[in-house]
Amino acid sequence: MVKVGFYQGCCFQGQDAHMFETMKEMFKRIDVDVVLLEETTCCGGNTIDEENRKLSYAINARNIALAEKEGLDMLVSCNTCYMVIAKAKRALDTNKKLRDEINELLKEEGLEYKGTSKIYHLLDFFRDVVGYEKIKQAVKRPLKGWKVAAYYGCHVLYPKEIAVDNSDNPSSLQEILKALGAEVIDDYEGKDACCGYHSFFTDKSMTLKKLNRILGGVKKVGADIVATPCPLCFKSFDIYQTNMENPPRVPSSFLPEIMAYAFGIDKDKSGLSHHLIKVEKE
Amino acid sequence: METAVLQVFRYDPEKDQAPYYKEYEVPVEGTLLNALLYIKDNLDPTLAFRAFCRSEVCGSCSMKVNGKTKLACKTPMKELVETWKGKPLRIEPLNHMKVIKDLVVDIDKPIEKMKTLIPWLVPDPRVVPTDPMHESIIYPEEMEAYKDQIHCMLCFSCYSACEAVADNERYRGPFAFSKAYRFQVDRRDIETAKEKRIRYAISGGLWSCVQCQKCLYVCPKGVKPAEDIQNLRGQAVKKGFTDKPGAKKLKHFVDWIYATGQINRLYLPEEVYGNKEAREKLTKAYTEMGVEVWEVPKPTKGLMKFRDIYLEILSKEDKALDLDYSHVRKIDKMVSDIFKADICTIVDKAHEEGRSSRGLISKLKGLLGGQ
Repeated sequence: MVKVGFYQGCCFQGQDAHMFETMKEMFKRIDVDVVLLEETTCCGGNTIDEENRKLSYAINARNIALAEKEGLDMLVSCNTCYMVIAKAKRALDTNKKLRDEINELLKEEGLEYKGTSKIYHLLDFFRDVVGYEKIKQAVKRPLKGWKVAAYYGCHVLYPKEIAVDNSDNPSSLQEILKALGAEVIDDYEGKDACCGYHSFFTDKSMTLKKLNRILGGVKKVGADIVATPCPLCFKSFDIYQTNMENPPRVPSSFLPEIMAYAFGIDKDKSGLSHHLIKVEKE
Repeated sequence: METAVLQVFRYDPEKDQAPYYKEYEVPVEGTLLNALLYIKDNLDPTLAFRAFCRSEVCGSCSMKVNGKTKLACKTPMKELVETWKGKPLRIEPLNHMKVIKDLVVDIDKPIEKMKTLIPWLVPDPRVVPTDPMHESIIYPEEMEAYKDQIHCMLCFSCYSACEAVADNERYRGPFAFSKAYRFQVDRRDIETAKEKRIRYAISGGLWSCVQCQKCLYVCPKGVKPAEDIQNLRGQAVKKGFTDKPGAKKLKHFVDWIYATGQINRLYLPEEVYGNKEAREKLTKAYTEMGVEVWEVPKPTKGLMKFRDIYLEILSKEDKALDLDYSHVRKIDKMVSDIFKADICTIVDKAHEEGRSSRGLISKLKGLLGGQ
């Protein structure tokens, strides 16, 4: 049994608490004990950096320190949280002055950033810690006949310093989907486009154009569903898609959901039933 | 000798009806630029591409390989072959610019767009001596603020890879914002120019950057345009340009994270657009999805200590007053109404308002204890 500290961010609580339940249940099937790091806060969403970068580093030094206190590595699912936290870790590990200054503040809470915990995203955690073979063995309901379009999202591939896969030609997501028994489609128009989640409030028309490109591309190649390891890309696909003038109504899945389903967890508990664009495929 | 196939984009607008791809077998040796020079010298002298210094200085040889922007002289052929696992390498001109011939694009438009952000020094006479015989000194610690940005060599890699340029014609381009930011943090530049740059930056799409980080990835010189854009946004708010949705989104993050340790995605649209409709729409969407709606995030454990750290950093950076304390108080009240109120009152209130109290108990079970 592997034990790992799970960073929830804003995506796995409140109305999205069920997504954490799915995640936990799914991980049990591959012998991973996911421990919720309860005292962590929002990573700042790459927005706090606009206010002050040091504040972003401090918030995330604290988040990482909480995992270190438990002696656990940290697992992050959201691409943006991953990018922000991994960038903070890099800054803290390479700048002693910054680390000392922030540790001075963390002391108040009895915390210290040491740099001992690794930060994993779902994709490299599945590849390097769990292993594709283990995923394959856990499959009870192979996704036979499912044409699944693989969509990575940006913040696991860029910038290079924090990328979890080859930024130009990544393969981990395809390997995971293949292990589930799905027919993987990784060449479609818009596969590299940004999902537009972060511009929804600042430039909505841009978000909708991006969704049109990606989901239009997914539809064109005849995929049944698009799967992404990022809960924000997933929200963009499932929720923001309905803001489009003529939504292509392409169903999407947050990666752990489709994994849970393939592992034999029933559709309702897998989360696949809680979508605006229904996943009809069985 | 190991070889690879390059499928090169060919197009001469004066002769060709449409672009086409021509295949060339090249040695897997040296850089992509070496391969292109090999084609020109040995296989096809008609191929057009820009290149000059061959050493990552002039920024001429930027192009796309299988859709990914690369500086040809910085990209080893071996690396390309390994990345693409023996697949053919499709070489194309940069995005978002008119093709002049083959891999040569017209860079006038992005250059002109950049100029609208005043990417030059407007000297402050109080700092810069008017007498040209006197030196205008820059200290090394001042250089720190823009030591990366000055390396931009206008290769347009970021412009080509940019997600905002792709879907917003008006957007100036990542490099243009970095060029502008470089002068925003230059002590010698006059305040009125800094103000103008912000105004024009906003007009040129400052809040449209989607922060995909592709510009950081493709920049051959380590410039970080997306981060400069974040800094410019911070400056915009500081200078009082707070009416744009992006500025309001930032305020939401600053206040809510301080107040609860979390943002509130349910209230975010309402605070950004200033109407309730957005929240109601989102609530409806969640109900439709069959998930329970939370009005406010549950405050993080250890919140007061967290607030201490948060405020301490802001104070140190001279930004403590950026927190809107009256907003924070309102959030506090909302949170305490939900999480600290007497459970009987909450349930009865829901009944009084004709709402179902189902879900309320489970939401508050942390306070009640047990399962």
